[in-house]
Amino acid sequence: MTEYLSSVRNIAAHSLTENYRNRFFALFVVFAGVLIYASLLAGVMAVDEEARVIADLGLALMELITLAYSLLAAASSISREVETKTIYLVLSRPVPRPAYLAGRAAALYGASALMLAVMALIHLSLLYFRGFGVPALYAQAVFFIWCKLLIITSAAFFVSFFSTSVVSTVTISATLWTLGHFTAEAKFLLTRTSGAPAAVLGAASWFIPNLQLFNARDLGAAAPPPAGPWFMAAYLAVWLAVPYLFSLLMFRKKEF
Amino acid sequence: MSIRNGGCFYPVLALPAAALLALAGQEAFTGAAHPFPPPSAIREVRRGASEDALALGLGLRRLAADLWFIRLMQYYGTEEPERSGEEAEEAVDPGHGEPGHHCAHEHFGEGRYPEFASLARHILALDPYFTNAGLYAAGSLAFNMNRPAEAVELLNEALLYRPKEWKYLTLLAAIGYSRASDPSGVLASIEPLLNEPDCPVMLRQLAAFLNKKAGRYRTAYLIYASMLTTTKDRFYLENARREMARLEGKPDLVEKVRSPG
Repeated sequence: MTEYLSSVRNIAAHSLTENYRNRFFALFVVFAGVLIYASLLAGVMAVDEEARVIADLGLALMELITLAYSLLAAASSISREVETKTIYLVLSRPVPRPAYLAGRAAALYGASALMLAVMALIHLSLLYFRGFGVPALYAQAVFFIWCKLLIITSAAFFVSFFSTSVVSTVTISATLWTLGHFTAEAKFLLTRTSGAPAAVLGAASWFIPNLQLFNARDLGAAAPPPAGPWFMAAYLAVWLAVPYLFSLLMFRKKEF
Repeated sequence: MSIRNGGCFYPVLALPAAALLALAGQEAFTGAAHPFPPPSAIREVRRGASEDALALGLGLRRLAADLWFIRLMQYYGTEEPERSGEEAEEAVDPGHGEPGHHCAHEHFGEGRYPEFASLARHILALDPYFTNAGLYAAGSLAFNMNRPAEAVELLNEALLYRPKEWKYLTLLAAIGYSRASDPSGVLASIEPLLNEPDCPVMLRQLAAFLNKKAGRYRTAYLIYASMLTTTKDRFYLENARREMARLEGKPDLVEKVRSPG
């Protein structure tokens, strides 16, 4: 077990370094920084609601840009290793495949956390320069953005094993992301359908991640939380574990 | 049961894992609360249905509400085409009817603005927790545009999601006094709101105006002075400075303000 964990740690550390040395990582962060500072314009138009608009726009940009990077990174994580034949070098050593996959997934989670942290610093610096304090529940909002990203990255990682290209993986995952925010609307649709369509829609909705649970950024400080913390933690754990197990099922069949 | 290369252990786990996902998914789908109005409550305004759908799909209700609030303020700060011309010439206030002009006296913020109420309702349907938007819109409807019935309707809708929001209840009481032509009741009702740092500027403006009209020049002066630090809206700022300059000519005011208590 120690050997297994050591392999996970080594692969994760190496992959994380690979991620943040990637020029796209820097490009995404710079692009996010420019956009976050550009949100000043919208803030000025909001007059007395400037602080709220800068906070909301900045958090939304952080989420969308990290999402774009995470999906691209998850979609190409294994395929790039295969293309560059690096995977042969790794798997020819005594590295268990589950440890390899866990390490790659952990690196993706770490990269999104790192990107969010850098962007949060940029965002908070903008708020500070405009004379505003840290918005209420800011840390919670950023943490829950990360939780949403963990779920969608796990799903994209799994999709990348059967998808034919990076583009299709990103497309499928982005669709899941959108559907994940439509839970209430799906419930609304279910009340207006009946019979087989309702049963199919109902069953399908169970397999779509409910990202609204973690949408603290949208709920703000005033709205009540949609579920208890233990349920949310368990739900997150399930959404991390299950795609990983299915990825492993796909991965063990691959010949290298 | 070797874990190297996946072994035979992991396929066995896949089935219960999928069952667990379905179970958690069902619980999350049916059990989790959704603290926002249903899609049927969101009425399309200005052909913005696709924009709203995008906001819902990306989980950006709050940001969408912010953008619609900016549009509402731009709309309210712009001259109405049908009010230009003769009506503007007859106005009592210099600059009345010019783009972005809000009159300084009884006519402050007046106008028909037919889209105002629907835009305000749209904002609160997207984000019912945007209290300042609700206060700003209801206050403008009730006190500036003389449409108290629509303001009350808007506040009642807002209270569905924030039933304990004292600021809404306070404003409702103020509207009630206003309808009963009781300006002192209005003033007493909105007074607690003035102590809030994020109190909408139009309510401060209203309080200052009513105090001035009632002859309480010192209180009016202090409220106008507070506007200088609590708003960035240049129309309100200019108006506050102008009113302060006027009030400074009133007897005893300057001395009282300089040595409070």
